[in-house]
Amino acid sequence: MNVPLQVSLPSVSLAEDRTLPDSRWFGFARTVSGWPKPVIAGLLLGLVIAVGGVDYLTGVELSVSLLYLIPMTLGTWVAGRSMGNLVALASAGVWFGADLLARQTYGHWFLPVWNTLTLAMSFLVLVALLASLREANEGLEQTVTRRTKALQAENAQRRQAEEELRHALGDVRTAHAELQRTQFQLIESAKMESVGRLAAGVAHEVKNPLMTLSLGADYFLNHKTENPDEAQLVQDMKEAVHRASNVINVLLDYARPRPLRRASEDIHEVTENSLALVRHQLNKHHVAVVREFDATLPPLSLDRTRIEHVFVNLFLNAMQAMPPGGTITVRTFASAPFDGDNDAPAGVMVEVDDTGHGITPENAGKLFEPFFTTKPPGQGTGLGLAIVRRIMEIHGGSVRLSNRTEGGARATLQFNTEPKKKP
Amino acid sequence: MNTKRILVVDDEPGVTRNLKLNLESGGGYEVFGENHATNALTAARNVRPDLILLDVMMPGMDGGDVAARLRADPLFRDTPIIFLTAIVSNEETDGHEKLSGGETFLAKPVDIGELIKFIEHTLSLTSKPPHHAFTRHP
Repeated sequence: MNVPLQVSLPSVSLAEDRTLPDSRWFGFARTVSGWPKPVIAGLLLGLVIAVGGVDYLTGVELSVSLLYLIPMTLGTWVAGRSMGNLVALASAGVWFGADLLARQTYGHWFLPVWNTLTLAMSFLVLVALLASLREANEGLEQTVTRRTKALQAENAQRRQAEEELRHALGDVRTAHAELQRTQFQLIESAKMESVGRLAAGVAHEVKNPLMTLSLGADYFLNHKTENPDEAQLVQDMKEAVHRASNVINVLLDYARPRPLRRASEDIHEVTENSLALVRHQLNKHHVAVVREFDATLPPLSLDRTRIEHVFVNLFLNAMQAMPPGGTITVRTFASAPFDGDNDAPAGVMVEVDDTGHGITPENAGKLFEPFFTTKPPGQGTGLGLAIVRRIMEIHGGSVRLSNRTEGGARATLQFNTEPKKKP
Repeated sequence: MNTKRILVVDDEPGVTRNLKLNLESGGGYEVFGENHATNALTAARNVRPDLILLDVMMPGMDGGDVAARLRADPLFRDTPIIFLTAIVSNEETDGHEKLSGGETFLAKPVDIGELIKFIEHTLSLTSKPPHHAFTRHP
């Protein structure tokens, strides 16, 4: 029982590989955070002093004080809590210095000190908040990075598993095809074995009596009779024995073909030889032969006698399928390499066309069956095409029969050429 | 002319009888038929044949076993044996190839003219002087 193997794998999405791009601000902060700490501290303190200068020159209290938030925020975000604290204290100090230099008057000497302390405290609280925010952000970034890496690793594993599964599936498919082929070969070989046993049994049971008849006819043939009818009778007996013996021989050759004697042969020479063997019969039926040969074809490794047997069978079948005066066309050509694989064998094709009535649909499936014949009783064993197929199969080739669109039938033989050697 | 003695071992009485009739009618042969393979060795000892025609498939003992027993006897070690078999086709025995064990097979039904020619050929080979009688020159 043949069960087609149908398995498909869903493909894995690769979307998890994407990472979110940094914003411009985060990119800048990340770049600056890589600088040496003293450089960052120097730049930030410079910025604080610049704000202090503005504070001193303008003397506007509240709005200018807010400018100190810029270096403080920058410092905290870029270089962390310590840098933020340093900048916060420096800002409070510069604010106090600017206040002194501007000779602001207060009701008590402690008031500017108190203001400075209050400002410093506010700045430090702000730095603490910012630093916490920064640390939370960093933690979040680390978590995202860790999870992204885990996802990528998991994805790679899944892709590898999928790849392995695909390979395994390919192996299973190959094994399945191999199994089907082996099963077919086993069935064929079991069938041929039983046909072989049957043929040997039939041969033994039929040829022994035929031998007795043949020897009896031989005896009378060697003792000439004066009566011409008797002489003809004995001759007919001898011919009948010969014909019956031939049928058994054909059956034996079909069931148990002898090993091939392969040699490198020109397919056109083999074809011409076969045509010469049937020339007399073709002439008698007024059959014209047209040759369409491709002269560039390579030699083929084949058993010349067996392939001549194939051609003779096909030519005689074609002749018998046509009314007198028909035409047999023999055409040879090269077939393309299979599946575009240069190492696969390219084929040589031979077509034998006739101008008969073609193959009827009810006979199409039975033509290669042993003992199937459309010829009158006594004119065919029904083994001709079965033997043709068997000879082609043991050569590693094939045979196909079809109807031509122009009318008539076509037999197509496919021979494999030698596989090209890898350099 | 020296009459040659031929032993035919075949389980078909029709075959042994007709071979005897055909071969003896031409003169030159004295033919003895044996239809039981198991009696073949005894028959051979009685007949002392110049050539044996031996069927392959026989009840009780096949032609191969009969030939092996004959070969084991010094009397028949060099007696030519021609196997007659129904289970090979003419194509397989074309050219009278020696298919197995150096023995010769002919496919049944064999034409009597062809068989006589083959018997004569085989007997002419065995009647040649032994090879060592010739002097070899370097």
